[in-house]
Amino acid sequence: MTPAQLTIVSVLPRLLDTNGDAANARVLAQRARWAGLEATVVAVNTVADLPESADLVVLGSGTDTDLVAARDALRPLQSALRRWLDDDVPVLAVGTGWELLSAGIDVTGDSSVEGLGLVSGRARPLAARIADDLVVDAEAGRLLGFENHARGYAGSPVALGTVRSGTGNGDGTEGTVEGSFIGTHLHGPVLARNPQLADRMLATACAARGLTLVPSAMTASVDDIARAARNVVAVRLSLTSE
Amino acid sequence: MRYAPAILLGRVARTLARWRKPGGGSAVPGLVVNTIAPGFLPRTLNSFPGGLVIVTGSAGKSTTTKMLVAALRAHGVSVFTNQSTANISQGLTSALLEEVSLTGRIAGDIAVLEMDEGHGALISPTLTPRVVVLTNVMVDQIDRFHDSDMVAAMLAKIAARATGSVVLNADDLYLSRLAEGIAPGVTIARYGVTEDVLAQNPRGLGYTLTSPARLDAADGMVLTQVSGRDATVLVDGRVHEVGLPARGTHYAVDALTALAAARSTLLDRFDAAVAVTAISAIPPVFGRGEVVSVRGTTVEFVLVQNPASMQLNVDSLDPTTEQILVAVGSDVRDPSYLWPADTSSLGRVLIASGSKAQDIALQLAYDGVVVERIEPDLGRALDDFLALPEPSTGVKTIIFSADSMRRTRAHLGLATNESDPS
Ligand SMILES: [Zn+2]
Repeated sequence: MTPAQLTIVSVLPRLLDTNGDAANARVLAQRARWAGLEATVVAVNTVADLPESADLVVLGSGTDTDLVAARDALRPLQSALRRWLDDDVPVLAVGTGWELLSAGIDVTGDSSVEGLGLVSGRARPLAARIADDLVVDAEAGRLLGFENHARGYAGSPVALGTVRSGTGNGDGTEGTVEGSFIGTHLHGPVLARNPQLADRMLATACAARGLTLVPSAMTASVDDIARAARNVVAVRLSLTSE
Repeated sequence: MRYAPAILLGRVARTLARWRKPGGGSAVPGLVVNTIAPGFLPRTLNSFPGGLVIVTGSAGKSTTTKMLVAALRAHGVSVFTNQSTANISQGLTSALLEEVSLTGRIAGDIAVLEMDEGHGALISPTLTPRVVVLTNVMVDQIDRFHDSDMVAAMLAKIAARATGSVVLNADDLYLSRLAEGIAPGVTIARYGVTEDVLAQNPRGLGYTLTSPARLDAADGMVLTQVSGRDATVLVDGRVHEVGLPARGTHYAVDALTALAAARSTLLDRFDAAVAVTAISAIPPVFGRGEVVSVRGTTVEFVLVQNPASMQLNVDSLDPTTEQILVAVGSDVRDPSYLWPADTSSLGRVLIASGSKAQDIALQLAYDGVVVERIEPDLGRALDDFLALPEPSTGVKTIIFSADSMRRTRAHLGLATNESDPS
């Protein structure tokens, strides 16, 4: 019997990979492989790239210059994105990738970009651009990463967690969770640094296919590195180590 | 004599600054002069009899500038040049003060200046460069410039000041587009690589956007071949062999850029053979593929400054390299910064080090690279790495970020043949 194949979709990796967030697709694929599954990453830039089905979906962050271009490139993919969300396919969207799926983005006081309206809430300008460590107390444990954004978020039905250090949504919360959708300002390879989040997504995807996710020794040793990386930041921020 | 009082005051400030902090305080006299005589800097730069040459772009500025200066000097031209500094206006003014006479004149036919795209765009409206040389548009320093559109706009602003010619990289689509906005009467000198050279770099040359078509040899200078530290270029139908200061297509492109810039600067006086000989004589650059002898062993240093240079350097590493140390320090503030690079071809890394040791180890692990040891203490990592038995293939190779390079140099007591990269 051939091992089950997971399809991981990376949406608009050309426009939405400013901070290496497209790497989250690579992270999910590697963790699946380490668990003995097969996984392929499919880069979707146009409708023609869409695979027959998707098990996991990742969107990264882009530049503000490309905001409208990215929105316009996402529009033809809107029905596919809606279908994935309706089918409870785990979707992770970082920064502008998340903002573009919301009701809209208030760029400054008077200009805004309409979003796809697939998730609740909208992006609102922060007083200043933030580029710093971001630590979040979440249901899945402490999440730690880096944030680099000029906007917060308002109207999330359920936040991903509470901000321990940093800015996040700008109101003491960070991120959003809506069904199988996770939006966050934790940019870059958030799933590598916070493998519990990756495994939550992978476990959901596996369950939908009647599979179980069995972490291997390889997964454990890489997760030790991730924990050490998080602890370096925790110590610098005078937080307890894990 | 218009600027004599300002020049004198600047010299007093320089003396005071040195007295306070020996060897330092170089921006202070510049600040003094720029404050009391804001016209001094542009007037002096615009007064070179052979004109001003500005070299700018995202990457390759310093190497290209160094090569261009060597090529011009080999033609008997006397050149004033200055390394790019954090604050170009003050740093430049200070450097000019070193050499200027009280009448405001500087010995030298031509000035060749490397300019950071940001500061260059700020001071360029007052300058009338004869030649503007554009290297490429890469996304670096994300926090500062934020995106490629902004970098391209800054370069366009500088290029618009050219009175003689704009020398530009035809393979960079942003720069090719920029040519459309150049004033009539200003010559556009293009350079580029062949399809073969591009094909040797499956991930491209690191430009944000690569032009869809290659430059025809009839339309400019072309890089036809790169192998290790040897390259061949085609100039006016004649093939020349160029020796590079380090391995890698980007150094060959820097040499090509310098050649094209030398021709635009020297016009009829340009002799390709003379320029090629001068460029080939440039010594290897520290931390950029330089091979050094330290503690009785041979080590190759590879500096990575951004994801594009990380990718180029990893790709151009000899695949048989057996002993690799990777060190990333506090200069990489955001650990996700290097993740766009695919490091899988490294295969095995003996030690991951620096204050971001765990973060770079994590990236390597996800790229399928085996990391034998994580040792954040760079001194200990270096000591242990250099003490290992000689590799059976390749040389001991240290890949580091700028901060780790400085610490490595200090720890090993190595001198440098250039100032820290910008
Ligand atoms: Zn730059």
